[in-house]
Amino acid sequence: VNQQDLDPDSTTDVGDITDTEEELVKKCEEIWKDMEEYQNKLSLTGTKTLTDSNAQLSLLIMQVKCLTAELRQWQKETPEIIPLTEDVLVTLAKEEFQKLRHDLETVLSTIQLKNEKLKEDLEREQQWLNEQQQIMDSLNVLHNELKNKVMPFSESRIFNELKTKMLNIREYKEKLLITLGEFLEDHFPLPDDGNVKKKKKNIQAPTAQLITLHEMLEILINRLFDVPHDPYVKISDSFWPPYIELLLRNGIALRHPEDPTQIRLEAFHQ
Amino acid sequence: MSVLRPLDKLPGLNTATILLVGTEDALLQQLADSMLKEDCASELKVHLARSLPLPANVNRPRIDLIVFVVNLHSKYSLQNTEESLHHVDTSFFLGKVCFLATGAGQENHCIIHRHTVVKLAHTYRSPLLFCDLEVEGFRATMAQRLVRMLQICAGHMPGVSALNLLSLLRSSESPSVEDL
Repeated sequence: VNQQDLDPDSTTDVGDITDTEEELVKKCEEIWKDMEEYQNKLSLTGTKTLTDSNAQLSLLIMQVKCLTAELRQWQKETPEIIPLTEDVLVTLAKEEFQKLRHDLETVLSTIQLKNEKLKEDLEREQQWLNEQQQIMDSLNVLHNELKNKVMPFSESRIFNELKTKMLNIREYKEKLLITLGEFLEDHFPLPDDGNVKKKKKNIQAPTAQLITLHEMLEILINRLFDVPHDPYVKISDSFWPPYIELLLRNGIALRHPEDPTQIRLEAFHQ
Repeated sequence: MSVLRPLDKLPGLNTATILLVGTEDALLQQLADSMLKEDCASELKVHLARSLPLPANVNRPRIDLIVFVVNLHSKYSLQNTEESLHHVDTSFFLGKVCFLATGAGQENHCIIHRHTVVKLAHTYRSPLLFCDLEVEGFRATMAQRLVRMLQICAGHMPGVSALNLLSLLRSSESPSVEDL
C-alpha cells in the first residue's frame, strides 16, 4: 500500500557524469516496473464507500491495519542509498556547501542589521543620559543655592512678617472701631435729655446718666472677652431701654436664659 | 468512475495533485492561486470541483489529497460536502482527506455550528482546519500548510507517509466531550 514512500526522489539530479546517471536511471526504471506491478494488483481490489454510521469504526479498523503494515514494512526494510561514487559525493558536497553559505549569509546580514540597530539605540540612550546628567547638575546647583538661602533668613523674616501682620491687624481694628463709633453716633444718638424733661413729665424719667449705644456695646464686648465663661452684663439704668430692645431684637445681644436682667453679646466670632 | 480512488493511476513524475471540493467557487479559485504561488520542489496541480462525483470523461492525474471546503455561512455547503463524501473510496481516508472550514471569523453569519464540522471531521477521522479564506494573510498561510500536506500525501517527503501525518495531526485534536 505504501509504495509511494519508495517513489524516486527526483532531486537526484547528478550532473553530467554518465555512468552514475545511467545507474540511477536503471534503478529508477526497476522501481517503476515494481510500481506498475503493484498498481495492477491494486486496480483489482474493489472500491468501498462509507456511510456516516459505519464510518468511524471501519476507518479506525482500517487505520490500525495499515499502520501495522507500515510498521512492519519499516522494520523489515533497510534504507537504500544511492551509490556513493566520487562524483555523487562531490555534487552533494557542493550542494551542501552552497546551502550552508546561503544560510550563513542570511545570518550575517541579520546580525549586521541588529548590530546597526543596537548602535543607534546605544547612541540614543547615551544622548539621553547626557541630557539627564545636565539636568541633574543644574538641579543640584539650584538645590545648593536654595539650601544656603533658606537658613539665615527664615527666622528674622518670619518674625518681621508676624510683626507687620500684627501692626496691620491692630490698625484695622482701630479703623473698625472708629467707623463703628461714627456710625453709631450718626444713627443711634442718645435721646435728648432736654427734650424729654421739657415735653412731658415722665415718671420713668431716667435718673442715671445714659450712656451711648457705643459705650454699651463696648461694655458687652469687653465682658465677652474678659470673662468668656460668664459674658453676662447686668442691665443698669444707664442703658436706654429702647436700645436694649434694639440689640435683643436684632440678635446682637441675648438675654440670660434664667435672669432677664442680664444680657450678653452674641458670639459672632465662634 | 463514480467513486474516487486514491491509487487508481500511476503518479506523474514529481507531480502532486490536490482536489478542492466546495461550493464557493471564488474562494476555491483564490485558494488555488495562493497555493500555486508557493514555491515547492514538486510540481503542483490544483483541481477544483463543486461536488463529487467528478465527471467521468475528463482525463485527470492521480489525486493525492482531497480538501473539502465547508462554508460555515451556508447549510448547502455542508450538505454538498456530506453527499460528496459518499463518493470517496474508503482508502482515501487514510490521511488523504482533509476538511477546511471557512467563515468562522464572522460569528453572526455562521449558520452551521463549529461542533457540527468538528463532529463530521471526527466521524471520518480526518483533520479539520479552520481558515477565513477571504482574508489574504490567512489564506496564504493555509495555502502553505496545504502545500506541505500535499507533498507528504504525494509521497514526496521521504520517510513520512500520509498515514503518519494523520497520526501526528491526531494528537492535537482531542475528541470533544460529547463524543465520548
